[in-house]
Amino acid sequence: MLHLHSLTKNFGKQVAVDGLEFYVPAGQIVGLLGPNGAGKTTTLKMLTGMLAPTSGTATLCGHDLLTEPIEVKRKVGFVPESGAVYESLTGLEYLEMVAALYGIPSEAARIRIKQFLAFFDLGFDVLSEKLLGAYSKGMRRKVVITSGLLHNPPLVFFDEPLDGLDANAAVGFKALLQSLARDGHTIVYSSHILDVVERVCDRVIIIDKGRLLLDGKPEELVVSHGSGTLERLFTQVTGGGELERRAEDFAKTFAK
Amino acid sequence: MTANTDPHATLRRLFLTLFLRGRSPLGGKKEKAPTSLHQKLTWTLLLYAALGFVVLVFLRQPLFGYAAYLHSMTFVFIGMFVASSSGEVLFCREEADILLHRPITPKALLWAKVRVMVEVSLWLAGAFNLAGLMGGYFAMEHGLRFVIVHVVSTALLALFTAGCVVMVYLLCLKLFGRERLESLMTLTQMLVAIAFVLAGQLPNLLQSANLKVSASAWWVALIPPAWFAGLDDALAGQASLASWRLAALSLVVTALTTWLAFGRLAEGYQQGLQTMNETKGWVRATPSGRPLLHRIVSLPPLSWWLRDPVTRASFLMTIRYLVRDRDVKLRVYPTLAPYLILPIIYFLQGQGKPSGSLAAAAMAATLGLLPIVVQTLLQHSNQWQASEIFRRAPLAGPGSLYDGCQRAVVFMLVLPILSILAVVAGLSRGDPTLWMLLLPGLIAIPVTGLLPLGRGWVPPLSQPLDESKSVRQGFQLVGAMLGSMLLGGLVVLARHLGVITGFLLVEMGVVAVAYVFLRRSLFRSPWPEENG
Repeated sequence: MLHLHSLTKNFGKQVAVDGLEFYVPAGQIVGLLGPNGAGKTTTLKMLTGMLAPTSGTATLCGHDLLTEPIEVKRKVGFVPESGAVYESLTGLEYLEMVAALYGIPSEAARIRIKQFLAFFDLGFDVLSEKLLGAYSKGMRRKVVITSGLLHNPPLVFFDEPLDGLDANAAVGFKALLQSLARDGHTIVYSSHILDVVERVCDRVIIIDKGRLLLDGKPEELVVSHGSGTLERLFTQVTGGGELERRAEDFAKTFAK
Repeated sequence: MTANTDPHATLRRLFLTLFLRGRSPLGGKKEKAPTSLHQKLTWTLLLYAALGFVVLVFLRQPLFGYAAYLHSMTFVFIGMFVASSSGEVLFCREEADILLHRPITPKALLWAKVRVMVEVSLWLAGAFNLAGLMGGYFAMEHGLRFVIVHVVSTALLALFTAGCVVMVYLLCLKLFGRERLESLMTLTQMLVAIAFVLAGQLPNLLQSANLKVSASAWWVALIPPAWFAGLDDALAGQASLASWRLAALSLVVTALTTWLAFGRLAEGYQQGLQTMNETKGWVRATPSGRPLLHRIVSLPPLSWWLRDPVTRASFLMTIRYLVRDRDVKLRVYPTLAPYLILPIIYFLQGQGKPSGSLAAAAMAATLGLLPIVVQTLLQHSNQWQASEIFRRAPLAGPGSLYDGCQRAVVFMLVLPILSILAVVAGLSRGDPTLWMLLLPGLIAIPVTGLLPLGRGWVPPLSQPLDESKSVRQGFQLVGAMLGSMLLGGLVVLARHLGVITGFLLVEMGVVAVAYVFLRRSLFRSPWPEENG
């Protein structure tokens, strides 16, 4: 379903993604983890055609990223971290616009949008009358998630999808991911919320400085490294081991 | 917007909606929030239609001269519109996360954006040409034919103009590479704006030649609007060989520009969008820029001038945005280009002519507006929500922040531009008494920067970008321009009456009082109402 072949991205002299190579079969939920600046978002942007790789390529749903970019985009859904939308459109106008870009007929799009509204507990009146600029962060995130899934893509990339969602919406969303995976959808889930990743994902890939550090089932990795939790494993392999002591030292600088 | 499965139509409708509503209104309901741009567009079209009546003065001229005047003014108006909006429309950074991962080709995206720009250009052109077309219909021998041909040639002119701007951007992308595109965009947009202003000088050439310019003059072939006037003349006027030559040139050049911009170079557009989307891993602010700026600010006289820490912080922030921020640069510098070019044109045109004093006064009037124009532009930013930090700080009002921004404008833009103009004027060896006429505009500068235009006395970069296109702000700037022109007229009158010294003394007194009053009001002003 997703196969990276030495995917590399340089920004000038800086190597953001360094020959990344892995394979994800259909129906798997993969957590893509890494500290800030590890290259997660850059990888996702390359895989969705938003950035051109410096070298290497990837195969997504049987299509080559470099030679068949439009076919790849048709099969892929992406929920970016930024949550950017056109703020002067209403939620409905925005989603109908996105549906049209994927060639979904307007009637079918309207039905699909209503299904998402029901799932996210959003009112149709709000969606059709209020401009996106006036939405709360959580409502906007729901619209962005909907826009990424509207065309029923077999492969979906999520970049910090829970940011802004309330607890109920987050629980529902996690259940949705697992159901989608059971139905054969492949999901790549990038996040810093490690306990969610641990619970939701079948497999985690940890990268740092653009390189693959670890790849495997969360429970197996935790056991093999003797870490106890995914969070401890993460700090262990990404050099964050001394954070607690540093935090204590820093807190002392606040003392009057 | 309604759903339609044709991606091209969807994109076109999307960009037209965004143009009419603005990209980031303050929120609210669909029917309430984004009226300002509609209003502004309506008022702009009415203003253009009113300006179009001026062309009737030239109605008795041969068709070529008449059409050349119409086309040159249309060229300037459309050119300035396309040049000022193209950077924001073509390379909107926030758009990448919304559209770049959708199944649309870069060509479709580019074409949809350009189509909307051409469409709006045609509205502007239509409004400006309305009076001229009516005049031509009633006064010319083949009135109806002229109207039809002129509408077609104006549409071609709009396509040519938009094509030129897009082609310049894409050529820059191809020649200088993706890495340097961002820094080149501001310069490109400035140069394009200057080119349109200079090309719009055709009416002045026509006037100085007593409007006896014909299609056969060799130099006419160098001025783009004349090609399209040639098309008018060939099909509805004299149909001379020279007119046909110009007409052929207009068709060939438009076709070539369109093919280059939207065909051959369009593939590079995706590269440009991807470049905008790249987060540079570790971007150095400006090579050695920070220490240099800090050193300058910590030394006299700037350290004396910026004693207040809040004023200094606002000064530094404004300068950093003027140097680094792509959106601020794209709005400020191209807007400044005419302010740099027009005074030089006025001044050089005025040399040794009776109209010289008026030219000098016009130059002063233009310069007098500079601080308030820039200050108003700097009120707005894509990152306006970050200005919440100012309200959270223990400050009674925005006075010091506004003051710091004003000082940055004077230091970074007004003084350098005045210096350049002084050098140009000095090299021109003109009449030194004309210099006296410049003084009133310069004396007024400290006060014009304090005028509470736009949203009033607000911190820099604290207002949404689309607010900068509001009708109120447009009218305020037109009002400031009229006031400035009035000052220029008074100066000429004072010189004519031989009381210029007295006039200057009175003006200095008025400016001093106004300055004290405005500064006192500024530092007492409370926080304005919050956005959103």
